[in-house]
Amino acid sequence: MAEPVVRLSNVWKVFGTRAAEAMQAIRAEGLGKPEVLKRFQCVVGVQDASFEVPRGEIFCIMGLSGSGKSTLVRHVNRLIAPTSGQIEILGRDISSLNERELREVRAKQIGMVFQHMALMPHRSVRDNVAYPLEIRKVAKSRRWAISDHALGLVNLTGYEDRLPKELSGGMQQRVGIARALASDPEILLMDEPFSALDPLIRLQLQDQFKALVAQLQKTTLFITHDLDEAIRIGHRIAIMKDGVIVQIGTPEEIVMNPADDYVREFVKGISKLKLVKAHSIMQPMDSHKGPLDGAPRADEGADLDQLINLSVATDLPVVITEAGRDVGIVTKPQLLRGIQGGKDD
Amino acid sequence: MTDTTQELKVTAASDIAVDHEALDASIREFAGPNGDTYVTAFHKIHNATGWMPPTFNIWAALLGPLWAAARGVWGMFWGFLILEMIAWVQLGRGLWGNPGAAFLDRAETQSARAAEFLQRAEAAKAAGEDPARFEKLAANLTKAAEDSLAQGQAASSEAMGILLTGLALLLIVKLVQGFFGNSVYERQYSRWRITPGSVENGRRTKNIVLGLFLVAAIAPLTVYKFTVASPSELLNVFPEKEVSQVFLGEGNATLFSTIANWLEARIDETARAGADVFDGVTAGVRSVLNTLTVALSGTPWPVVMLVICVTAWRAAGPRVAIFTAASLAYIAMLGYWEVAMETVALVGAAVVICVAFGIPLGIWFGKSQRAYRAAEPVLDLMQTLPAFVYLIPIIAFFGTGNPPGILATIIFGMPPVIRLTALGMQGVPESIKEAATAFGASRFQLLKDVEVPLALPSIMAGVNQTILMCLSMVVIISLIGGGGLGKVILEALQYAAKGPGLLGGFAILFCAMVIDRIVQGAFRREDLKQ
Repeated sequence: MAEPVVRLSNVWKVFGTRAAEAMQAIRAEGLGKPEVLKRFQCVVGVQDASFEVPRGEIFCIMGLSGSGKSTLVRHVNRLIAPTSGQIEILGRDISSLNERELREVRAKQIGMVFQHMALMPHRSVRDNVAYPLEIRKVAKSRRWAISDHALGLVNLTGYEDRLPKELSGGMQQRVGIARALASDPEILLMDEPFSALDPLIRLQLQDQFKALVAQLQKTTLFITHDLDEAIRIGHRIAIMKDGVIVQIGTPEEIVMNPADDYVREFVKGISKLKLVKAHSIMQPMDSHKGPLDGAPRADEGADLDQLINLSVATDLPVVITEAGRDVGIVTKPQLLRGIQGGKDD
Repeated sequence: MTDTTQELKVTAASDIAVDHEALDASIREFAGPNGDTYVTAFHKIHNATGWMPPTFNIWAALLGPLWAAARGVWGMFWGFLILEMIAWVQLGRGLWGNPGAAFLDRAETQSARAAEFLQRAEAAKAAGEDPARFEKLAANLTKAAEDSLAQGQAASSEAMGILLTGLALLLIVKLVQGFFGNSVYERQYSRWRITPGSVENGRRTKNIVLGLFLVAAIAPLTVYKFTVASPSELLNVFPEKEVSQVFLGEGNATLFSTIANWLEARIDETARAGADVFDGVTAGVRSVLNTLTVALSGTPWPVVMLVICVTAWRAAGPRVAIFTAASLAYIAMLGYWEVAMETVALVGAAVVICVAFGIPLGIWFGKSQRAYRAAEPVLDLMQTLPAFVYLIPIIAFFGTGNPPGILATIIFGMPPVIRLTALGMQGVPESIKEAATAFGASRFQLLKDVEVPLALPSIMAGVNQTILMCLSMVVIISLIGGGGLGKVILEALQYAAKGPGLLGGFAILFCAMVIDRIVQGAFRREDLKQ
């Protein structure tokens, strides 16, 4: 794999005036969160977080309020400086940058979208979108052209000269996305962008956003407290609890093999039909005694929904193929267990 | 599974039992000594539904303020102390105040004088002169003495009434203390449950000592002062001279004159030493004033009027423009044009300087809480100190005339623009600032593109306030030689000229309203317009 776009290694964040002391004590004595609070009046925001995000991936960070996900993602553009650990953007250590270089990285390589839009109320939609370019001192003609193009990407052509307050919540958030895209950054940081919107609009925006990112090949860190959203959008998901990353994996891995009870509780209500693929529930070919003539065939990437459609028409198991080769079978009991979430008998 | 299913028992509200054990323990912990008494009392209060709680605290009734002090109920301590003292003062007046004494004394002297005159009448008769004059005087005095005697007796019998009132009052106060002591204490208990750290509980020796000390220091002196016919002079007037002597020695000046002289010397010294600095400040202020005066008075009056009206139209619309034209007509036709322009130049200069220093200061204070906290008392002082107080040092340092007047105006007018700028800066949403930072804005860009534009409505409200405050100083600075409409008013005041004073006052009012409307209209932000 090529150089990851974002890499975090052993990032810790301790809040409070005695953070450095607390950090030393954590290292030396392995203190837990409550002891740190008691002894140093410091809050541990992020505990030993490490992950890499390759180019073009949507990496979701999922957790409840207060789990440290927003804190974690703000380390990427150093809105928050880590107490310890290393953050690399395109191979550059972001802590080593000076003030000017840091501003340059923020302006050119990282776009950010916020939960509460954070648009400037006194500027038109176009000027809001053009603001990152204005900071970089791009000429007005260029920045207007770019911002109109970015607004086109999020289907807001025709609203360029409106003020943000004249737009609905969903439209305002699309302006926020256009602003993040305007400087054509490598990385998008999405801080619960759709949480404040109503469910229908959210669904719409999720789809639009996924298509847009796939098209533009942006590396995205997407924060959400909604596992459904994480599964819909993310290529991989990191689940956070109390500042710790509990599990990192593809949606399928997380749903099929939750790392602990906390994650299991989360994935309990998630529908597996579109999520679980044939290769994760199939059995070896020789587990079926008997002929397989006329058995339906499906690719190993077929999801449960497709397998069910094939399976209802026959009594035989479904044969799974990989590049035209038969690699396994899925029987009806396995299929049913798969729907339940991959429990063994 | 991690979730524990708990069976919920549904009970009708009337069947819910009160958990006395925990409550009792808590009340005992709160009350300390005599816990059980208070447990019973608080239960009665908790069970009561009427306004009158069915408890009586004998100790609260007997000891009153001392009980309240011992229990740490300080609000009740002061209330009971005052009530009891009123009762005690009445009792004292009734017992030994002797309100008729003055009248009886007078009656005695009057009858003595009458006897004297009678003697002189006898003597006159003996000498063969006419005694009628003396006899008449003696008769008058005797009558007066009888009146005084009657009044004195009436007053003495009133003493009985006062005594009885005092007794009744004391009884009522004691009853109130007894009946409501527990209720107030129960309320303290409820507060204590919320913040056990900051509400006092139990019976503390420290509180008893403090309560005893306060009662001993306050009650005897007060009762003595109000009941005795001629209390010691020491209690009437603070012995300022004697205290001065303690500090400065016998035969010297008082503390007041010493400190005042010292201050005066320091001010004179500072004025001499810093003459260059003060002259420089005056020159700076004068240059601003001169520029504005040239612009307003030097330019032909039709041009100035036209520009003001057009500005009003552009900034605030036709209605304000018509009002402006009418105001200008009033000022011009009554012959106030020149002085009005001088006033506007004075106020303008003060406002320009206030804004030039106030907005940067406000931005700084908005960003640094510590700086703001340090400056807050100074700002309060600038606004609350009566203008007359700082007019004196201003004369000492800067002399008289328009520039010192502008300086006095600045002292009074600067705080609002500083405060409202700081307020506006603090009100800029963190999320928008964070967004700008995330897109690479430098601190200056953040200030220029986000903070100042978003704080602008508040800043402009501050500028507007400053303008109006400065206008209100126009009359006061005429006391130290400031010109303009203020001088017109001051002269009218000196000669009690009602007509000119009123006309001049309206001229100031119109100036203020025109400026206010134009400024408000001009700086309304585009996205906030309806």
